[in-house]
Amino acid sequence: MTTTPLTISSALKPDGTTALTVRGEIDMSNTVVLADAIGSAPGRVLLDFAAVEYLDSAGLAVLFAHADRIELVTNSVLGPVLRISGLTELVTVRELPPDGGV
Amino acid sequence: MDDVFSADPEVAVDLRAVDWAATPLGPVPGWPQSLRTAVSILLSSKFPMWMAWGPQLTFFCNAAYRRDTLGHKYPWALGRPANQVWAEIWNDIGPRIDTVLATGQATWDEALLLFLERSGYQEETYHTFSYSPLRDESGAAVGMLCVVSEDTTRVVSERRMATLRDLGSDPSVVRTQQETLAFAARQLDRNQRDLPFTLIYLTDGGTARLAGTTGIPDGHPVAVSAIPLDGPEPVWPAALSVAEPQLVDLSQPRFAGLPAGAWPSPPAQALLIPLLRQGGAPYGFLVAGLNRYRPFDDGYRSFMELVAGHVATGIASARSYQAQQRRAEELAELDRAKTVFFSNISHEFRTPLTLIMGPIDDLRRRPDTDPATREELDVIHRNGLRLGKLVNSLLDFSRLEAGRMQASYEPVDLAAVTAELASVFRSAVEKAGLRLSVDCPPLDRPVYIDRGMWEKVILNLLSNALKFTFAGSVGVSVGSDDQHAIVSVTDTGIGVAAEQIPRLFERFHRIENARSRSNEGSGIGLALVQELVGLHGGTITAHSVEGEGTTFTICIPFGHGHLPSGAIVAATSAAALSAAAEPYVQEALRWVPDQGSRDLISPGDQETPLFGPSLAKPASVLIADDNADMRAYLARLLTGAGYQVSTVDDGRQALDEARARTPELVISDVMMPRLDGLQLLTALRADPRTEAVPVILLSARAGQEASIEGLQAGADDYLVKPFAAAELLARVRASIELARTRNHHARWRTALINSLQEAFFVCDDNGAVVEINTAFTDILGFGPEGLPYEPKHPWWPDADAEAAAHREVATAFDTLMQNAQGSYTIPVVHRSGHRVWVNATFNKAQDPDSGRTVTVGTFRDVTAEHYAIQRDTAMAALNMRLSQAPDLAQAGAGALAELQRLWHATETWGVVFRPGAPPSVSTAHGRPADWEQLAESHRDAITSLRDGPNLTAAVAGGDSAGIRLEHPHGIMVVWLDLGPHRRFTEHDRLLLSLLAGSLAQGLTRAHQIDQQRETALALQRAILGPAQLPHGFAVRYEPAATPLEIGGDWYDTIALPDGRIGIVVGDCVGRGLSAAAVMGQLRSACRALLLQDPSPARTLMTMDHFAAATPGAMCTTVFCGVLDLQTGQLTYASAGHPPGIIAHRDGRTDVLHGGRSLPLAVRPGAPRSQAEHTMPARATMMLYTDGLIERRRRPLDEGIETATTTLHQGRDIDIDQLAAHVMDQLTPAGGFDDDVAFLLYRHPGPLRMTFPAEAGQLAPVRSALRDWLRRCALPTQFTQGVLLAAGEACANAIEHGHRGNPGEPIQLRAEAYADRLRLVVADSGRWKNPTVNPDRGRGVGLMRAMMQHVTIDSSSAGTTVDMHTRIPE
Repeated sequence: MTTTPLTISSALKPDGTTALTVRGEIDMSNTVVLADAIGSAPGRVLLDFAAVEYLDSAGLAVLFAHADRIELVTNSVLGPVLRISGLTELVTVRELPPDGGV
Repeated sequence: MDDVFSADPEVAVDLRAVDWAATPLGPVPGWPQSLRTAVSILLSSKFPMWMAWGPQLTFFCNAAYRRDTLGHKYPWALGRPANQVWAEIWNDIGPRIDTVLATGQATWDEALLLFLERSGYQEETYHTFSYSPLRDESGAAVGMLCVVSEDTTRVVSERRMATLRDLGSDPSVVRTQQETLAFAARQLDRNQRDLPFTLIYLTDGGTARLAGTTGIPDGHPVAVSAIPLDGPEPVWPAALSVAEPQLVDLSQPRFAGLPAGAWPSPPAQALLIPLLRQGGAPYGFLVAGLNRYRPFDDGYRSFMELVAGHVATGIASARSYQAQQRRAEELAELDRAKTVFFSNISHEFRTPLTLIMGPIDDLRRRPDTDPATREELDVIHRNGLRLGKLVNSLLDFSRLEAGRMQASYEPVDLAAVTAELASVFRSAVEKAGLRLSVDCPPLDRPVYIDRGMWEKVILNLLSNALKFTFAGSVGVSVGSDDQHAIVSVTDTGIGVAAEQIPRLFERFHRIENARSRSNEGSGIGLALVQELVGLHGGTITAHSVEGEGTTFTICIPFGHGHLPSGAIVAATSAAALSAAAEPYVQEALRWVPDQGSRDLISPGDQETPLFGPSLAKPASVLIADDNADMRAYLARLLTGAGYQVSTVDDGRQALDEARARTPELVISDVMMPRLDGLQLLTALRADPRTEAVPVILLSARAGQEASIEGLQAGADDYLVKPFAAAELLARVRASIELARTRNHHARWRTALINSLQEAFFVCDDNGAVVEINTAFTDILGFGPEGLPYEPKHPWWPDADAEAAAHREVATAFDTLMQNAQGSYTIPVVHRSGHRVWVNATFNKAQDPDSGRTVTVGTFRDVTAEHYAIQRDTAMAALNMRLSQAPDLAQAGAGALAELQRLWHATETWGVVFRPGAPPSVSTAHGRPADWEQLAESHRDAITSLRDGPNLTAAVAGGDSAGIRLEHPHGIMVVWLDLGPHRRFTEHDRLLLSLLAGSLAQGLTRAHQIDQQRETALALQRAILGPAQLPHGFAVRYEPAATPLEIGGDWYDTIALPDGRIGIVVGDCVGRGLSAAAVMGQLRSACRALLLQDPSPARTLMTMDHFAAATPGAMCTTVFCGVLDLQTGQLTYASAGHPPGIIAHRDGRTDVLHGGRSLPLAVRPGAPRSQAEHTMPARATMMLYTDGLIERRRRPLDEGIETATTTLHQGRDIDIDQLAAHVMDQLTPAGGFDDDVAFLLYRHPGPLRMTFPAEAGQLAPVRSALRDWLRRCALPTQFTQGVLLAAGEACANAIEHGHRGNPGEPIQLRAEAYADRLRLVVADSGRWKNPTVNPDRGRGVGLMRAMMQHVTIDSSSAGTTVDMHTRIPE
């Protein structure tokens, strides 16, 4: 089973927050990877999705599951889906301007 | 085996005997169906027909044609080339047949003169015929059918009739013999067909002298001017001519060089026919060259006899007129001579008379003369006086003639002078036992007279009265009116016959055989009286009734203005009566016998009728009188006078008798029981059989009013009882002679009218037909015995059974009644019930006798013509229907509709019996019907027709008709329900047979065309284009609609090795299979060339050479392009092809005008260029052939404009639907005239992916979709939304649809329109209820959020998510 290309790099910030930088596309074939990465990070997690080109409802489900301890940096491409899904009401999302994104 | 000939067993025998294998048609079994059909129709027809078929126009004919036309050429003619059969007329008919074969148009010739050799000689014949094309299975005219009727008798009779009519049309009543003959010759000369030349000889003693010629120059050897009747070897056997007409053979050498008249060759025979004189030797004879192209039959003979009779009659009347003229002149001359003679001698008599009379007077007075001597002397004296009186009268005449009469007019008391003169005669009158009454009251003014002359006037009249009066009285009276003195001398004597009165005053005229007191008389007395009265400016008239008496009335004007002034003198004293009176009195006294009156009329005289009928043959007279004595008297009188008499008691019997045996005269009493004389007269006049019979009415009622009443009622004469026998006889004779004269005209008119070939009729002002001729009876069967025919006439079609025909006739009748003239063609019914079509012409005329308006009309039988035209029209209409029908089914329906229309049928069925299948029934309305639903009687009748022979029309029950014919699928029976009482005549049968034959051929053709077209269409579609088109393309091909035919249009797409797509749309010239075959070659060549070298310009340049070498490929137009589906980059070149159109999503349009050059093979080797064009995203390109946009009478630009608009309209629909839309919008009302091919492409083409239901597939699918969306030039955010919606749908399909069967295929399809985008994801599984799993539910929410319309259709077969949305700009 091939999976959608996704790379996640993890860094622990001085405030104890785990910063996860995600690249690629997130769909049902690789949400497990994302879920594992978030799940394995203790405490708050800052997710940098600036380089995520695709996020579907499976990915959203992972984010909703950790909504109470994540914070999101995202790009303009993902903005609509995060707002539509209602995630932005639960999670702090910072959207980078288009230029700074993908 | 020769079923094809079976329709006529008689002709079939001879047709089978023909060695068909030796003809171009070959053996019968190999004949095509079309030929068999034609032969069947021919043989089954009762109308004369022949046909020709094949390259040599091989001849066939039917029995009727053999009988009427072919004659002894049968059966030799069968199977021969038509130009041999009719070699003698081929110059006439050959070009017509060529025209029919070349144009397919039927010809119609009326009464065409043709010289046929069917009876052993060249015969003048006239035929009315039509040539119609006969077609083979391919529709080509390969033969012709001739329906013919022979008009020879009609044409020849009409021509002869015209000559007889012209001969009788001499407007002048009398003319000289020379003029008469010249007139006759002019008329004869006008008919050089029946009378190529004529010679009229009149016998003069022993010599026949030429008196007139026609058609032959003066001095011609046979036109000898005199033939001695007893001479040896006369040119014409004149001596024999006294008896019967005789034929002269003109083959002898002496007749060489005869003129030919209107013909190519001179006559072979002449007829010598006597010019008969009634009761005497012929006047001479007529020689007439005979038309060698007609047999000398009874008709010709009687024509010649009528001509000769007419010439003879003309001679007779001319001679009799001349004789009368001569006699009148002679008489006048004689009168003059007598006068001159007598006056000359009279003068010489006076002297000797004086010398005789003087001494005799002396001797008579001597007393010694003895009584015997005295008596002798008295005789001498009286006769001397008579002689003197006569001499004086003659001298008076001679003076009058010479204008030397010396008159002295003086005013006198005319009454007194006249009374005195009358009194001189008193003794003589009384001695005769008569009364003299003198009624002379004085006039109020004097009258100027010459006394001497007046004496002579009165004395002559009195003397005359006494001479002819045996009982009663003689009266003299004087009276006056405003301007005249009127003196009358009246007697009750024997009177003067009416016809004699005009001659009463003629000099030397004496009334022969008149009973009188003396036979003496010179016949100059009254003539002198008239002259003398004339000198007084007065007039004298005589009124006389035979047996009653005579009155002479003199009118003298008052005054003297009318008299020569030199002759007026003053009044003298009333002079004594001159001595002139004595001779008159003396003479009169001598007439009075002393010994009673003598019976002057001998018994023998009484036996001989005074005015007997000098009539050539005894006349029949019908006497109607209720008085038996009167009947017997009249009968005796008339029988004695030589009449054939029949008597009846009253008017009713008289009418019956007159109707049964038309008498020549009716004498009827006015007062009779049952039917009086006037009623009888009215009844006789009302009946055409008796209207011309003269009627003399007898009445006891005297007076002018009674006679006027009788004459007004139409009596020819009127007599008041008592009447003199002689007067009756005279009037009877006059009436009969007049009637005979009149009837001669009537008889001639009747003969003329009856010999008309055209029917003749006269209608009165109520529309009743009151007169007809024999042709009328021949055509309609109604004879004169039924006259008058009151409207509605019995030949009108039935108002119920034949409503349309009845209306037609009623309309025509209204025209006849209302218009002054006109013509019409109507259907009428012969007395025997069959239909006749007549063409009538009528004119209003005034009946000269009654003053009533009558209508005179003629008509001819145009039945054959009518049906021939009807046949041609019906055939043309049917063939039109058949040729217009696009396929077999519609051909059948169209034909049924046509048949239904033609016969006004209430219902029409076509039943096709296909082996092994139930009968299939269709109707004229095109609706199928159920065989089982048909009435059982219909089914039985149709089945029996099915088992009968082909093309033989059958009638069932009088209200339906049917026919069997070959149908491509089996046997077809056509059945017509005609409605009650509709007659189906022999003509209808023929027509139905012809139409069914045509229908069978038409159906066969339609079937063949169907098959060909199906084959061709299959072929064309097979070679037209690729079975699999690249995504994003749509194509259409449509053959031309009328005639539905394939053509040379094509489209093609080629997947090129470099991933691009080659696109070709082409149109090669022509239609049909050949064009399709050329197209196939061009298409393949183009495909191969593009594969080898993807350059449109170079491909077309090579195609130029290829097309130049391919027959039929020249001028093909081609669009050739290479399209990069990724970039929309198009490289193209056009060989004369209409420009492609690119419709942009923003409404702009590009027209691909670049890369244009000439059509293929027009300039092989010439360089071609190509052009580049980039299709923007979501634009649509259309390439097409000209049939799509080309319309008659419309510029091409307009077509391109319309196509562009249509493309823009379809900007947001699927490309296949767009193709349908284009077809919808651009197909003209009647379908395309030309075939049409077009190709649509919208850039980019839709994305179609199929992938296994695995999560790992999502990324590559997304990648491909993202790439495609980029090519669609969509906004980024929008693209992301679409990607998300597609991803969710795919994820759902993977997660739920195929939970149990991972790896099952999922299909994704994305398609972009100008303003919209559509996504469809389909799997073969079932989704869970989305609410169960909140995550997946979130997925659906996302889909709905991203796409405006989402439908999820889930069934046992799988789930399809269909999403579409507008594209934001």
